[in-house]
Amino acid sequence: MNRISGNLNADEKALKEILSAEDILTFPFRADGGIEFTVVYADAITDKELLGEQVVRPLLHYAGKPQTEEVKKRLTSPELKTETDFNKLAQEVLTGNPVLLWEGMNEAIVTGVKKVFPRAIAEPPTDIAVKGPREGFIEDIKINTSLVRKRLKTPELQLDTVTVGRRSKTVVTVCYIKGTAPEKTVAQIKEKLQRIDIDIIPDSSYLPHFLAEKPRSLLKQVGTTEKPDIFCAKMAEGRVGILVDGSPIALTLPYLLIEDFQSSEDYFVPTYRATFTRLLRAFALFVAIYMPAFYIAAQLFKLQFFPIKLLLTIAGSIQNIPFSPSLEMLLVLLVLEVLNEASIRMPKYVGMALSVVGALVLGETAVNAGFVSTPAIIIIAFSGIGLYAVPNLIEITSVIRLAMLLVAGSVGTYGIILLTAFILFYLATTDNFGVPVLSPFAPFVRRDLRDSLIKFDLLSLEKRPKTLKSKNKRRLTHE
Amino acid sequence: MNKISARQLYFFLACIAPVGKLVLMPTQLVLFSKNDLLFPALANFALQAGIIFLIMLLSRSNKTVFELLRYTFGKIGAAILSLVLALFFLYAAFCPMLEQKLFVQGVFYDTLPSLVAFAPFFIFSAYLCAKPIFALGRIWDFLAPVAIIGFAGLMIFSIGQADYGALLPVGAGGGKGFFEGFAYTLSWFYDSAIVLLLMGGFRYEKGMAWKSLLSYLAGGAAVLLFLAAYYGIFSDIALRQTFAFAKISKYFAGVTVLGRFDYIFICMLSLVMAFYITIPLQACVVCLRETTGQRGMPLWYAVGVNLILFAASYFSNFYNQTAIETVSVKLFWIFPLFCCLVPLLCMLLRRSPREKIVL
Repeated sequence: MNRISGNLNADEKALKEILSAEDILTFPFRADGGIEFTVVYADAITDKELLGEQVVRPLLHYAGKPQTEEVKKRLTSPELKTETDFNKLAQEVLTGNPVLLWEGMNEAIVTGVKKVFPRAIAEPPTDIAVKGPREGFIEDIKINTSLVRKRLKTPELQLDTVTVGRRSKTVVTVCYIKGTAPEKTVAQIKEKLQRIDIDIIPDSSYLPHFLAEKPRSLLKQVGTTEKPDIFCAKMAEGRVGILVDGSPIALTLPYLLIEDFQSSEDYFVPTYRATFTRLLRAFALFVAIYMPAFYIAAQLFKLQFFPIKLLLTIAGSIQNIPFSPSLEMLLVLLVLEVLNEASIRMPKYVGMALSVVGALVLGETAVNAGFVSTPAIIIIAFSGIGLYAVPNLIEITSVIRLAMLLVAGSVGTYGIILLTAFILFYLATTDNFGVPVLSPFAPFVRRDLRDSLIKFDLLSLEKRPKTLKSKNKRRLTHE
Repeated sequence: MNKISARQLYFFLACIAPVGKLVLMPTQLVLFSKNDLLFPALANFALQAGIIFLIMLLSRSNKTVFELLRYTFGKIGAAILSLVLALFFLYAAFCPMLEQKLFVQGVFYDTLPSLVAFAPFFIFSAYLCAKPIFALGRIWDFLAPVAIIGFAGLMIFSIGQADYGALLPVGAGGGKGFFEGFAYTLSWFYDSAIVLLLMGGFRYEKGMAWKSLLSYLAGGAAVLLFLAAYYGIFSDIALRQTFAFAKISKYFAGVTVLGRFDYIFICMLSLVMAFYITIPLQACVVCLRETTGQRGMPLWYAVGVNLILFAASYFSNFYNQTAIETVSVKLFWIFPLFCCLVPLLCMLLRRSPREKIVL
């Protein structure tokens, strides 16, 4: 028996068989007219105050016929729907929406009185801007969609919901602006989401594995943001956004590598400043990846890379070091990665102690003891800072830096060049929903260069990025 | 990604192809042209530009060279000719690979490294060969500014150091010098054969033939400027200055004070060159696939072709100079045969399939 029969006791029993957990409660009550009602709800996630006010109290004095439409008219909850399938009803109860059953009716009413415990909307820790909006997404999808709606008050904004996860039944909302986002991309994303067969989706970071065209690629293939203003701006360019219930990190597709060199602040500061900071980010990342590797390659294979005075200084620093240059650099890098990992995980109040141990004990003492040289510490320290100039790429850039170090230590400069060539070719031939990841550089799209590593003023950005293939090309008109 | 755009082809002709002519070719020119290196180089560029112009006219049919061969000679004839082309490309890849190896060993290492130091090139090359050749278009977009910046950087450091009077008197090498300089550097000019193979991988646009010709000549002009600066700086000792683009900027005042920061530009050009010298190998894999009619993963061909070249580089390790001399001097005629005569003969190929006569 999968459907409601109209026999209250049998229906309640059937529902309780599916929902056997102790926190699933029932509240039976009799209306003045003599009809028996039962509300089935999940204890911790149902707002009992609202349930009483909007469902139970209006029905206590009900003396009409036991018909769904009549009962619905009495209820004051704005979110009501009818359902007959037990599995679907059980699902509603588990998401916090109580189910109202009554004698003699072969359908039930689902009432939307879910309890929400949102944390306050705060500035996201991973996406801080000195100028510009400070709101960030939180874990509640309804609040997140409201933050998007607040910014895009257009009927063209579409929020299509898909439920993902056999057990978690996570609500995933596909957001896009109709007419701006390519229909093919939207359809592809929805299809990929619907095809996902996994038990739980605890966070949005699970979805890129299913959405990416090369799921095992080391390269990031889905854009992420915690800020609704960035999310809306990306949608306005023609991208599709994805919000996941329980996650403050929103996803955007298609992803272009250049996105991670841009910050929301770039659009709120003068153009020259935005261009300068973008170039600075690229430079910092470049130096962070290549400097340790070239230092090793130069020391091991080509001392001529160093100017003579610098060479003498380095020679003085490394003469008593017991390790080879590459091993020394790898050790210092390992210490940096461990410190980095530990500082993220450990309780805040031991953070100060860690800083002292990391900076003084491991750094200063290791140099004094002659285990590592000062140039190695300086280079790795700068490299560590430089990688965080583009924080969204930290996972891949730290791996590339390590790979460069290994190649430099074994093959030298030519190894670095070949690994660079390999990465470039891989990037240049990678597509994401039909959009080249390395665009607007490869393929070269002149119009899109206006908002890439350099940024033109707002009035010059008349059209949406050509790469994203939006039908609606013009985004601004001015005299 | 399946097609090369017109712009990408121009970038290849103007920016990528000239980089392959900056390593050993200047020294070779100095040796054979009796210090009158500009005219033979100009003649080679002009000849290649002309052939490329004709190939572009041929490409108006938007057919690949293999399709044209099939229309004219049938499947078996086309397969045999594809195999001949494959062998030519493998042969054409040998010299640039040796050149690159010597360059890497000479420029990036203080002491001569083991052969293994160059071995990763073959892994990279095999990876590229396993990808469709038309995927190169996008990377040319990226490499073009890299090549321009690298070249411009080196020229800025060197152009002021040159004594251009050393180039005078023009024509002092005489006819023999001109001919030898021209003929014995033909092995560096296989770009027309590559364009022939790329045919069908781009859609012909109006004016593309002229634009391709001008792009190639623009690249040639940059090489001539480089040669002038090179000879202007080193003059009589230019013959001893192998790996020209790694040495041309070392007398710049800033470099002597701050160290060899010009290596940044040298590395940029080396990056471009790594891609350029794999193109004949990719072309070889494409031809082999056409020969065998294989349409799936070209990985085994890519690995096989690179293993052959690796073996060749291994066995010729102590005879590099002899190998280069054999290819570029003794067997120089192979290049005009495949890079000039074959494209010219391709103009005579059928542009559409023969109509089947039904009795």
